[in-house]
Amino acid sequence: MYLLSNAIKNLERNKSRNALIAVVTLAIVMAAVVTLTINNAAARIIDTIRLDLGSRVEIRQDFIEMRQIGLGRDDAAFVPIASFMQFAESAYLRNSVFNAAMYAWSDSFRAVDDFSETPGSTTRINDNGEVVLVETSRLVGTSEPASLADFGSFREISQGRMFENLNEAIISEELAVQNALTIGDTITLSAAYSDGIVYTLEIVGIYADRTEPYVNFFLAMNGRFADNRRNEIITSFDTLIAGGWQTNAGLDMQVEYFLADPANITAFEAEVRALGLPITYNVAINQAAFDRVTGPLAGMHSAATTFMFIVLILGAITLALISYMAVRERKYEVGVLRAMGLERAKVAFGILAETVIIAAVCLILGLGIGNAISQPIADFILEGRVATANQEISETGGANRVLFAGGQMQTDDAAQGYTPASEIQISLEVAVILQIIAITLALAALSGIIGVVIISQYEPLKILRER
Amino acid sequence: MLALKNISYKYEGTTRTIFKDVNLEFSPGKVYTIVGKSGAGKSTLLALLSGLDVATGGEIVYNGENLAKINRNHYRARQMGMVFQSLNLIPTATALDNIVLSMNISGVGGNKTRALELLKTMGISPEKSRRKILKLSGGEQQRIAIARAIAHNPPLIVADEPTGNLDKETEGKVLKIFENIAHEQGKCVIIVTHSRRVTTIADEIWHVEKGIFRRFDGNVNAPQTQKRRRK
Ligand SMILES: Nc1ncnc2c1ncn2[C@@H]1O[C@H](COP(=O)(O)OP(=O)(O)OP(=O)(O)O)[C@@H](O)[C@H]1O
Ligand SMILES: [Mg+2]
Repeated sequence: MYLLSNAIKNLERNKSRNALIAVVTLAIVMAAVVTLTINNAAARIIDTIRLDLGSRVEIRQDFIEMRQIGLGRDDAAFVPIASFMQFAESAYLRNSVFNAAMYAWSDSFRAVDDFSETPGSTTRINDNGEVVLVETSRLVGTSEPASLADFGSFREISQGRMFENLNEAIISEELAVQNALTIGDTITLSAAYSDGIVYTLEIVGIYADRTEPYVNFFLAMNGRFADNRRNEIITSFDTLIAGGWQTNAGLDMQVEYFLADPANITAFEAEVRALGLPITYNVAINQAAFDRVTGPLAGMHSAATTFMFIVLILGAITLALISYMAVRERKYEVGVLRAMGLERAKVAFGILAETVIIAAVCLILGLGIGNAISQPIADFILEGRVATANQEISETGGANRVLFAGGQMQTDDAAQGYTPASEIQISLEVAVILQIIAITLALAALSGIIGVVIISQYEPLKILRER
Repeated sequence: MLALKNISYKYEGTTRTIFKDVNLEFSPGKVYTIVGKSGAGKSTLLALLSGLDVATGGEIVYNGENLAKINRNHYRARQMGMVFQSLNLIPTATALDNIVLSMNISGVGGNKTRALELLKTMGISPEKSRRKILKLSGGEQQRIAIARAIAHNPPLIVADEPTGNLDKETEGKVLKIFENIAHEQGKCVIIVTHSRRVTTIADEIWHVEKGIFRRFDGNVNAPQTQKRRRK
């Protein structure tokens, strides 16, 4: 016990040296706390996103890739709607959300930005040189209204309700106002790229929309008002399919298949290929979206890891040097104690006790301070990284090309519409505390062992004579 | 109680033989003084007696046991108290802490009251006792070193030049204490000294020269070497 109290007294006796050791240790502990908590929080968020985006498989025809391997629009293959439904029965899935969108034409109302003489009378010349009517709207169908893009953020139902039954739909406020449409009115539409498919829909809700009307400049400039998002008419997937679709020719199927385990993607792909999915279709998670959403977090994660290794290595070297010098400085004291008959092991214990006490104090302080500053530091770093990422997104200008093949649309930016995750919630977890304790103990052991090794090399008489 | 049997000693890496076949015996209840020229080997002898160093030949027997074979840490901690020529106090610790620590190491247990009392008898006030060694005078430090050597009540006390920095009056007090420890408490006190006055309390005076120990009887005048070195 007296060894401990002597160790405590020694700490006070050699204040400045111990303060130096404490400062270095504290800096290491704090850096470790900050980086580890940030790393953990970032990793956890990335994992959550992976569970969502990383398990969300999309099966889509990839026109960009087709073009790269020399295939044209005529090579596009079409898949029966029934197959898309069949894929959803795979045992690898925990859930599936059916979405589809199609271009529609109507003369029963005037689309937003349609400046033709009578509604729906705008024409264009198609690939075969024929004059055809230009589509006026986009009909969107989903099996999961809760998962509709932008609802809850930029869109909300302002009148009426969400569709529930067959042949119910919601329209934008702008479209409603322009055509004096109200709840209970019906509209008729026909499919733009598939003959004979006609809808008569009852308006049950009207939504306020604060999204950008056009996803890119090109669409606006070319008068593609059907792509004005105010012209989206939203209904259930069942309603959309019930119009008479057999395959996805002319229909943009956007089924989201959620894997129970993201690792099973290849097995799932094999299964759907066996069920006849053509090779022009990709079975993939939206990696671009995943990367965009997690980019700043992942960057922060790896920067924090690098930073921590640098701090740990530099800190360990500094600490080793300081303890080496400290023990040499204390050689005489060690000689005195040994001359008085104190065993080597007890001298070592005393020195170790001093380092452990310093380490323990630094540990508690470091955990406290580190915990307090982690959140603001994380916010600060993430904010900067998100700003940079957003800057890059706006510089590339979002989706550049929109390709059409039988009513299917693809942009060259698969991450279109996704924004980087910009929130991080830091908390000091038990695992981190244990890691920090391990790091601190390792540091204490390092400096303690250096001390012990040095002192055990000297005979007391030698030390005393060297004075 | 403590006997040197045919002790020879040579510092490692040197050619000079400091001791050759030295035989000496120290008994409890007596004060021994060892005198001799500077460099004669007095401190070397004490290093051997304290077990800090090991003789190159012969053996030192303490209470029937060969010092080379017993746990010399225990021996140093419990059986003896040593006043080093260079004092060897812990400079950053207080006088009191130096003594309490030594008591703790010896196993008798640190006792502040006893330590303070002892320091007082050495002329160190409680206020000075709580000062760091660094902030005390040479003479004060010397008395603290003596107090440390006797604080744990060891049967054997070995002191190297313990009164070198003391004034006459203080030296007298300290000598009284050594005398008392030997003659009243029955301990063995071995003092290396250049001071003639110290030899006045000795039961036996030994002169060492060229590795040979010769005993003076009390009536003979101090040896020449001692006269020359007297301050
Ligand atoms: N570590 C050492 N290595 C080699 N020689 C040493 C060592 N220590 C002392 N000596 C030599 O051994 C001899 C005896 O030294 P010692 O310290 O025992 O003398 P001393 O009698 O105590 O002298 P003083 O009265 O000056 O204290 C001296 O000649 C000294 O130079
Ligand atoms: Mg000497």
